[in-house]
Amino acid sequence: MSEELKLLFAGAMGAGKTTAIRAISEIAPITTEAANSDHTECNKEETTVAMDYGEITLATGEKLRLYGTPGQARFQFMWPILATGALGVVILIDNSRPDPLADLELYLDAFRALADGGAAVVGVGRMDRCPQPSLEAYAERLAALDVVVPIVPADVRRRDEVLTMLEILLQQLEATWAYDEAIGDGLSGHGLMGAHP
Amino acid sequence: MNARAIAPDVIAAFDEEIRKLHARVAGVIGCVLATTDGRRVSAVVDNEADPQRVSAMVGSIVALGETIGREVMIGRTQFVAVSAVDGMILLQRVPAKRDLLVVGTLARRHTNLGILLHETGIAAEAAARILDDWLGRDLQPA
Ligand SMILES: Nc1nc2c(ncn2[C@@H]2O[C@H](COP(=O)(O)OP(=O)(O)OP(=O)(O)O)[C@@H](O)[C@H]2O)c(=O)[nH]1
Ligand SMILES: [Mg+2]
Repeated sequence: MSEELKLLFAGAMGAGKTTAIRAISEIAPITTEAANSDHTECNKEETTVAMDYGEITLATGEKLRLYGTPGQARFQFMWPILATGALGVVILIDNSRPDPLADLELYLDAFRALADGGAAVVGVGRMDRCPQPSLEAYAERLAALDVVVPIVPADVRRRDEVLTMLEILLQQLEATWAYDEAIGDGLSGHGLMGAHP
Repeated sequence: MNARAIAPDVIAAFDEEIRKLHARVAGVIGCVLATTDGRRVSAVVDNEADPQRVSAMVGSIVALGETIGREVMIGRTQFVAVSAVDGMILLQRVPAKRDLLVVGTLARRHTNLGILLHETGIAAEAAARILDDWLGRDLQPA
């Protein structure tokens, strides 16, 4: 059990949570897609209504269990269910949406416990077509919110870029755990009380 | 299908089916018709439950039920049931040509499950006919 880490993908509709898990999972991913009935919110055929699930084993032997959330706000009730036991979250942003910085704030707030514990990474997609807001603007917003999480540009369709986000997240987690151990209190940060290996 | 774009007469027909289901079975305290992606189409709920929130949940649970059904290879899911101390909820897909709607029925404890299943099924079939007619109508040249 201890070698299995549960990680979450969160973010707005169409940010690419399902795509990211499909890109890297070594098992056939479990998906719960339904016909999208709201093409004004996002123009795609299907949307996740409950969860995505995939798995990947890293070169280090660690097995990651990857859970994707349904992005639309009406499915918010699923977020804490899926977040239970999660050690980290990848927050995906779609820079082509009307207000990506507001999206960032919404999902950071929803997963604040993880973000505050250094257990989050933000991946910004579609920056090639929509360079604004810039990564600096994201950094400024994060600073204003008093959260310290890495922000990287990422194309969720690319396996290597999704893996890079996970590597950054795992490095963050390891640093946090090392710090917790150094100060002799396993309770700080995400408050998972020794659930990590 | 955009739920906002469902024609008013179609919504009225759905409302009528949902209202009838609610009226016809003693013990039923709520019925919700929602899109498979969790948007409210029609609802009657006697208690304080918020039909929009419930609609989203109905969509999720039907999808999860079908997903686990597929995973363990037990064939097509017919319904999903939640049994609680003070009542039960029955959820199922509307068996239309396109998988666009789900229905959920909330009933008090001691409601006969068989009757509830049967009656919810009748409402779901009625909703399927309304949906098929409407989508067929849309395909007709103007
Ligand atoms: N052109 C382009 N498409 C992208 C890019 N990043 C993601 N996509 C596409 O955007 C879509 C993302 O869809 P999903 O993976 O279903 O999004 P999701 O976050 O799971 O959305 P919900 O489940 O509805 O909340 C996919 O069709 C991707 O191929 C990009 O950088 N450029
Ligand atoms: Mg998805």
